[in-house]
Amino acid sequence: MVDHKECSLLDEHIASNQRKVSLTCVVNGVEICDTIDPTMTLLHFLRDRLKLFGTKESCGEGECGACTVIMNGKAVTSCIILAIEADGAEILTVEGLAKDGRISILQEEFISEDALQCGFCTPGFLMSTRALLDRNPDPSEEEIKEALAGNLCRCTGYLPILKAVKKAAERERKELK
Amino acid sequence: MLSRFKYLKPHNLNEAVQYLEKEEKSFVLAGGTDLMILLRRNLINAEHIVDIKGLPEMAEFEFIDGAGLTIGASVVVNTVVDSEVVKTKYPALHQASASLASFLLRNRATVVGNICNASPGADLPPALLVYDAVVNIAGPQGMRQVPLHEFFTGVKRTVLQRGELVISVQLPDPGDGDKSIYLRQARLRGHDLATVGVASRIKPDGKVAIGICAVAPTPLRLFALEEKINERELNQETVEWAAEEIKQHIHPITDVRSSAQYRLQMASVLLKRGLSHLITKEDNHG
Repeated sequence: MVDHKECSLLDEHIASNQRKVSLTCVVNGVEICDTIDPTMTLLHFLRDRLKLFGTKESCGEGECGACTVIMNGKAVTSCIILAIEADGAEILTVEGLAKDGRISILQEEFISEDALQCGFCTPGFLMSTRALLDRNPDPSEEEIKEALAGNLCRCTGYLPILKAVKKAAERERKELK
Repeated sequence: MLSRFKYLKPHNLNEAVQYLEKEEKSFVLAGGTDLMILLRRNLINAEHIVDIKGLPEMAEFEFIDGAGLTIGASVVVNTVVDSEVVKTKYPALHQASASLASFLLRNRATVVGNICNASPGADLPPALLVYDAVVNIAGPQGMRQVPLHEFFTGVKRTVLQRGELVISVQLPDPGDGDKSIYLRQARLRGHDLATVGVASRIKPDGKVAIGICAVAPTPLRLFALEEKINERELNQETVEWAAEEIKQHIHPITDVRSSAQYRLQMASVLLKRGLSHLITKEDNHG
């Protein structure tokens, strides 16, 4: 089944010592073109290359959700995704939530409900919530818990976060109509 | 930082197979939820990463009446969780998928990856096993099909040879009147492999199928137990008997998640719960 003639590009690729790969993606509405090492994670691309420090690194293994970003509409843990896998993708990070110098309703509610203490997990919670509300503007408590199950918080406890998400959903349904 | 490797995203299957055959230290990347952790912990020496998400055949996710369900190698678990067809036709698969890790990880983790990783405690194999799933494999010699119960050869080991990769997993159409359920015991919800996971199915002809994980080096289909159950009339008495009999068919070990004794007991409880639920309900919705 393998046609060896078809694979000259492949041979070239194997023979070359060039390890760099080129990456084009849209981050927070801005098109980015870069040449990167294929071993770079999406998280490190965002932080080290684009200097978007809102996305945090904690466990580095997809367990804690601190590095959550939205990739092509889905909340994902950027620490276990290679940056090159985001080639052609649209990425939204916590920096992309504010519009025209004003923070979003969701962020306002996290503040007013005291849904954060140290704040390290907050960008991840915000992005998981953003993805949830984009696909389901009126989630039940169970649905919120399910969507946020991959985000861990070690200081506030989860009740203020749940409350903030519910209030934000309610406000968004009213104000963004 | 990850160890150095080259990255290739092939555009056709030939390219992928040839690359995997040629380069010994090459690894297939689909969702990456297992591979990235192996790379990060330096548990594998990867020189080449082959990203299969660009191959069109890997994206297949389709149910055809009579033929059944095909799940391509790049189909993520949440796609299966959200599928109405899976919910109604394959409830055990829906439940197993929804119980896997966290919502965030299910947005990346693939069904086929859960099989290929060949963890003894993986949640999806028990559910796939009771539906007689078949694995479609491409390799240097062409295509071949392997029944899922013959696919696993040991802890983290499968029948896959050098140059081979899984394209999809295929489940026959269970037909009308089929019932199934997946029950798992874990230390906490999400983020934990199952202590024991049991998929129970009653086919339209009344025959029972049982799949189980985390009680042996590989996920198992308990054919011998099924045969004994199917010799009897399927009622509550038989269920009670089967819940005791299952202890003769599995040989769990003690590890960080559980003692062997607890696993035996939980396998018994989950089978009893599952089958009792199935024989007392009329519809087929899990």
